[in-house]
Amino acid sequence: MNLSVHLGRLVLQNPVVLTSGTCGYGKEMQPYLDLNSLGAITVKGLSLFPWPGNPPPRIWETKAGLLNSIGLENKGVERFLEEDLPFLEGLTTRVFVNIWGRTVDEYVAVARKLNEVKRIDALELNLSCPNVEKGGATFIADLEVLKRLVGEVRAATEKFLIAKLGPQVCDWETTVALLEEGGVEALSITNSFPALVIDVERMDFVFALKTAGLSGPAIKPLALKMVYDLVGITKLPVIGMGGITTAEDALEFLLVGAKAVGIGTASLVVPSSAIRVLEGIKQYLFRKGITDVEEIIGKVR
Amino acid sequence: MNLARVRKKERIGERFVLLEIEDRDIATQAQPGQFVMVRPFEGVYDPLLPRPFAILRAEGNCFAILFEIVGRGTSLLSRLEPGNELYVLGPLGRGFSLEAPSAILIAGGRGIVPLVFLALELTKRATPFSFFLGVRERKELALLRILDGISEISWSCEERVTGGFCGTVLELFKKHFDATLKGDVRIYACGPEGMLQALSKILTGREETTEVSLEARMGCGFGVCLGCAIPRRDGGYWHVCSDGPVFKLSEVVL
Repeated sequence: MNLSVHLGRLVLQNPVVLTSGTCGYGKEMQPYLDLNSLGAITVKGLSLFPWPGNPPPRIWETKAGLLNSIGLENKGVERFLEEDLPFLEGLTTRVFVNIWGRTVDEYVAVARKLNEVKRIDALELNLSCPNVEKGGATFIADLEVLKRLVGEVRAATEKFLIAKLGPQVCDWETTVALLEEGGVEALSITNSFPALVIDVERMDFVFALKTAGLSGPAIKPLALKMVYDLVGITKLPVIGMGGITTAEDALEFLLVGAKAVGIGTASLVVPSSAIRVLEGIKQYLFRKGITDVEEIIGKVR
Repeated sequence: MNLARVRKKERIGERFVLLEIEDRDIATQAQPGQFVMVRPFEGVYDPLLPRPFAILRAEGNCFAILFEIVGRGTSLLSRLEPGNELYVLGPLGRGFSLEAPSAILIAGGRGIVPLVFLALELTKRATPFSFFLGVRERKELALLRILDGISEISWSCEERVTGGFCGTVLELFKKHFDATLKGDVRIYACGPEGMLQALSKILTGREETTEVSLEARMGCGFGVCLGCAIPRRDGGYWHVCSDGPVFKLSEVVL
């Protein structure tokens, strides 16, 4: 059975990817699953300098979902290279690194540093994080800035370049065309949904920044439609994500045309979730007598 | 997460439940102060996340947790019966340091749980200690039952009762303060935020030798979601699940 998928010039041994922000810097997951059996892992969003993130509370559970306001906390690219890259060097799976910045220059500086690291297979641009006031939200919403950002990052790195999108995109066709022309090679979708929760006892917002990002099973049908729509307007490979918890969820995304699927919040609930999703995909293909996973990609359009 | 089986269940008073769970890996590896993530069912999305619980004790193939029924997650968990299965992940986090010439353990309410495990370990090591337990309401005194076999216990209750000190556990502790704090002693505490804040004021100057076990709303429990942040004394944040849940008083802002 062939499980490998082709995302343009990048081949994954199977379509199951761990998403940014739900698998740390990689080694935190090691006790719970064999990372080498996955298609790729995505290191959490790195910035040029260490970033403390938001004050607590940072998470709140809702029905079938999780709101988070982590605020992009990360140790910065330098410490990542010192402390975590050695572990990743020992892996054989694909390594994606999500990156963000407060300015175009910061994105470029991070991309340039990571460009020199052979072990890293792809960079994923966070363009849609709803958590940090001066963060990604402004880049995806402002097409002129976005164009400059993509252009300058593209010039700074030869790495496979992924743009991560979210519900904040206003004009999908224009945005996608801009990303394609700018040299982005794949699109991952979706980041969490801006959402709100109120503490009725305290009669106040739960989160300091009022809104937070909703993820988990609650957003899956919304994410699936976004993937379905996006596949219809782009030639770029799409990595679908948003509430995928079971193999059946993942298969829905593949069937509407995602070339790969991201497992996120499900890993927080059960850290080995991605393995179970992969096993379930294999069983499905076996049961259907399908020998190549790429045969089912985009079968339902 | 491993599938494990409930071996024993005990109601402690009105609001507490003790579950003894069979899981050899956790039972043999657990250290006092560490915790487990527990989910009562698989494939249920409400509640979505597992819940963190301090380990009460671990012996042979079994470990125990004791929890207060406070919400939907703990309510569902309280309905499990011996023989039922549940999902567990652990042991997780950094526990108490066990090297101490002598020790004082201060527990408020359900904060008793990790300190029982510590007291059992200190007893094994023949480390002398005093154990202070404070509860708000008379009915919580049912918790005294889990201290069977642990000596040197003093308790307090904020409601009037016979046989114990009437007041908070810190008032009780302060009564013994001078006598017990002489010499080389390590202090361990776990309880409500207000209690720990008050304790840190009493223990000014002893922040290096005082350890507190903290509670937090957690996502994953193993350090990837960064959801359980608390402020560090020197700026930035700790993550209760992976940097703690046990911290030196000198490390945290309470």
